[in-house]
This record gives sequence, structure tokens and C-alpha cells, in this order.
Amino acid sequence: MANNEKQIDSATLSTHGKLTMFNEGLKSGLANGEKFTALMDQLIDTTDGEVLLAAAQKLAAFKLDSAYVTFPHQYQNADYYLIFMSRLLGMHQDEQATLNSRRKTESLYHVFKTLSDDYTFRFQVVTNANGGAYYQEQTTGENLFYVHLERRLLRFNSTAVTNLFINKLLVKGVGVDQINVVLTTLTQFGYWLRDDFGFNVDFNILDVDNAAKYELRSAQLDRSIIDKLFVSAAENDHMLRNYMHGHGAEIELRTGLVVDIFRSAANGSDRWVLTVHDPDQAVSWFDVLLHFDFMRDWYLDNIDSLEIKADPLVFA
Amino acid sequence: MEKQNQPDLENQDQPTRALTKHLQDKLDYVTTLRQAITAGDDRLIYELIDGDHYHQALLNEEPDPTRNAQVDLITDVHPAISHYLSTKLIDYLAHEYPFFYYEETQLGEFQIYFGNWWDRRRFGKLNVLKVAFEFSSEEYNKLQKTFELAAAHKRFNTDQIQKISAGSDELQKLIDAQADRDAQKETLRKKLKENGQRNSLFDSGRIKEERQQIIDQLTQLADEDEQANNAHATMKDNEAKILTLSKEDTILAYEKQAIENAFKSFENFNERNHSLYVDYLTTLIGKAQVAEDGE
Repeated sequence: MANNEKQIDSATLSTHGKLTMFNEGLKSGLANGEKFTALMDQLIDTTDGEVLLAAAQKLAAFKLDSAYVTFPHQYQNADYYLIFMSRLLGMHQDEQATLNSRRKTESLYHVFKTLSDDYTFRFQVVTNANGGAYYQEQTTGENLFYVHLERRLLRFNSTAVTNLFINKLLVKGVGVDQINVVLTTLTQFGYWLRDDFGFNVDFNILDVDNAAKYELRSAQLDRSIIDKLFVSAAENDHMLRNYMHGHGAEIELRTGLVVDIFRSAANGSDRWVLTVHDPDQAVSWFDVLLHFDFMRDWYLDNIDSLEIKADPLVFA
Repeated sequence: MEKQNQPDLENQDQPTRALTKHLQDKLDYVTTLRQAITAGDDRLIYELIDGDHYHQALLNEEPDPTRNAQVDLITDVHPAISHYLSTKLIDYLAHEYPFFYYEETQLGEFQIYFGNWWDRRRFGKLNVLKVAFEFSSEEYNKLQKTFELAAAHKRFNTDQIQKISAGSDELQKLIDAQADRDAQKETLRKKLKENGQRNSLFDSGRIKEERQQIIDQLTQLADEDEQANNAHATMKDNEAKILTLSKEDTILAYEKQAIENAFKSFENFNERNHSLYVDYLTTLIGKAQVAEDGE
């Protein structure tokens, strides 16, 4: 009905009215373009973090074309996330992620200096009502983290991090040091979002805080899984000890570096968790996997039981 | 007046005098024990709860059951005495046997755990009153066997693990040979068909026999197929068995290592266990003397 009435209205409009409507359409389309370029100025050049974030938030959802004005050259919304990330890293003098543009189209991607250019990284915008975007490696499709600029949250994904950096890169002979450079940049991005803008960040498997509890996805853990670690640890000159504060086990991997696996009843939920303690709070569970072969083999061989849970709201 | 109220020892008959003396002895015994506990004199407590053993073991004296005339008076409080004595004894043992851990499961009853590693074994009980380990014979025998086998560079479960592994290897071969079997079956089925088409009046016995042979071979192959089909489940079972055995071997290796670290050899360990009462009481006597000398 409403549509029909509108058609009748425009059909009966005077020529003057038509021209006015056309002109107004152009004006608002151009104004939209002006607004866009102002935001682009901010995104590219501002040195103020909050201004940068605000510009990125708006551009990430910006519709540049209108009914009367369309622009043949455009970047995608995902690219603004990438520009934002690069700008923030740049503001903190982190130059490891290089922002490249494709030759013929307006399209951006990250490559890392320490990795082969075969591995390219882009954001994948979520099109449903949740919004936000995944930072995705393009050849493997692994979503390493999820970011939502308005809600100010960032979530790392244990599965993707493990798949890409261990099952792909480490297995193919990429050095631990090279992998660490990339991971450092990604986690630094998280720290700056947290420290500069108050983002709620779940570093997940990459969390170096001693207080971090890496929760296992599976609620039950068969005793035999821990038996396996006990046997292989002994073969590698490490003793898996009985956990003194409850039901579980602990292992000292080097002086002061202790991994615990135990049943935790914190927050009312009874679950198996892993913790990593080191005096400098510099080692995450993922670092353990990178540096201790027998721990990595144990984790990957029993991944169905041991996989670390990522935020189920964004990594179903 | 006063004289009448006083106990008239002179007028008591012999049995009554003996009775009062007995009762006095009992009172003295219990009083001494109470004082020993108050004073923290563990050595005296040990002498009181089993004087005969104390005198034989420490003073090389002949057995004399009269030394234990009063010990039955306190059997009902043995658990509490055991609890009391455990503090100093376990301090001592923690130093001498650093790999044993104790859990008081009920008053005065102590379970021994061997080691602080994952799934450490419950190794028996600590008898505090006798200053003796009461090892679980099953666990102890495994450990003894471990020491014996070490000379041959074997672990407790080495043979069994090898046997199970060999079984799994056989099953793997059976799985790998599936293509061969399929080819054989094909050939045999062709033969069977040919055999069925042959019809000889004179040779029927031989044809029949050949037919039976082919059928037997096919049956044999079908059996192997079935084994191969079940092989994965069996191999998984085998893996679980090997894990359990490897875990036990690892635990026993840790136990052996702990004993060697503290005692050099299993023989020394056993000797120390046998002399534990004397050794412990000797240190208590030594401490008492140091305390006296210091006064």
C-alpha cells in the first residue's frame, strides 16, 4: 500500500518538485560522501586514539552509496577494521604487520614480516545482528580473534591459534621465534585495546597472567589422559606430581614454571582447568605448547578431551 | 578417734594387702604415663606401652612378661596414644624416609603413601606404637621384583607390554593383508566355480575332496577377515592395557629411584626398616640425654 501511494505521488509531482527531489538526493548523497571523507581523514591521520576508534566504529558500518550518488572506488567495511588495527599498532611502534593493498582493487590485507606472504590476514565482518568482525587468515580460514568495536570486546580463539601456528606453521618448520613475533603483535593489539580503550579482552590460550585459568571445553576428563602425560613426562625426565590442593596433577617444566591441571569448582561450575605459573608471568599455555614437545604432543593427541574453550558466544 | 579412721594396714589380711599394692601399681603406671605425656617424654611412653620389647630391643635383656603387667590397662586409649606419638615419629621419618607421606584416616591410624607423584600408591600402614611399617605385601612384592628385574635391565611389566605389543602388531598385519585376502578369495571362488562345472564319473571323489579344500580355505580367510574387522577395537584395548602397565612401571621406577637416593640399595632399605624401632628410640634417648646435659 505505502509503496503504491508513493508511486502515485511521484507520478503526480510537478517537474519542479521532481528536480528539487533529485537535487536534495544529490546533496544528501554528497554530504554522506563528505562525512565519509572526514572520517577517513581521522582514520588515516589522527594521533588521538579515541578519535581513531570512533572513526573506525563509524566506518565499519558506513554505507557510502545512496540512491542518487554512488562511488565507483570503494573499500569494504572489513578494510576499515584492518586500517584501524594497523594505525593502533603503528601508534605503539609495532611494525610487524604490514598493511598491503591489492593491485587492481581497493582491498587491503596484512602480511607479517616473519611469515611467508602466502599467509594473508583480513577481517571478516559478521553480517548478522551480533556485528563485529573476525581476524582471519585467508588460506586456512582460521578466525584468530573476534573484535567488536562498539561493545569494546576482543576474544581470542584457542582452536584457530593452535591450528594455524602449530598444525600449519610449526609443523611446516616455521621457527618458534618467528611464530612468537606474530603472536606478540596480536596480543599487543589486545593489550592496547584493553589499556587505551578499556576493551574487555579474553586472551584465552595466549594469556600469560598466572591467574589465567584455561578452561577445558569438555566437562569430563578421563583419568587415563593424565596417565598418558605421567608416562610421557617421565620419558622426558619430568615428573608429573600429585596436585596438592585438590583433584589433579602438576608438572614443573623448568625452575619456577609450573603447569597445573585440576578440577576447579570456582564460580559454581565444576570444570577441569589448566593453569601456568611462572615468576615473571610471561608464559601462556600456548607458549608451553610451543616450547615443550612432549606437552604439545600430549595436548594435540588428546585434543578432543583437552581443547581449551573459547568464548562460545562468538566461537560456536 | 583419728586412729580408727586411718587405713589399718596391720589388720589387713595378705590378699587384701596384695590387692592394694596391685591397685597402687596400676595407679603408679597410669600416673607415670600421664606425666610422660604431659612432659612430652616419648621415650618413656614407648617404655611404658611395651616395656618388655623396649628392654629386649634396647638393653639386650632377656624376655620378661612381667614388665608388661599393666599394659592392658591402656589398650582402649591406644589410638589416642598413637595419635600423640605420631607427631615426633613422623617428623623423624620425614627426614629418614623422605618419600613416604602419611594420612591419618582415623584417630591414630596412618596410611602410607609412596611419593608425591601422580597416582602414587598406598603402600600400607604405619604402626606408630610399634614404630614399624606394615607394608601392603602386594605393593611391596612389586617393588622387590622391580629391584630384581633391574639387574636384567627390565621393568616390572616389560614382558607383558612386549606380549601385548606383539599381539597388536599381528593384528596390524592382519589389517594390512586385507587386499591379499580379497585377491585370494577371488581366486578361490573362481576355482570353486570351475570345480562345480567339472563332472567326471570316475574322478568324483577327487573333485569332491578338492572342493572341500577350497571351502576350508575360504572359511579360513573369512575368519581372518572377521578378526581384522575386530582388530581396531582390540588394538584400542591393548593400548589402554599398555598405558596402565607403563604407568605402573613409571611409578615403580620412581619408587626404586627414591629408595636408591635415600638408602643406596633395597637391602639397606629393608635393614633400616627392621631396625627402625631401635634407631628411633635411640635418637629419643640421645635427645633426652642432651636435654639433661644442658640442664
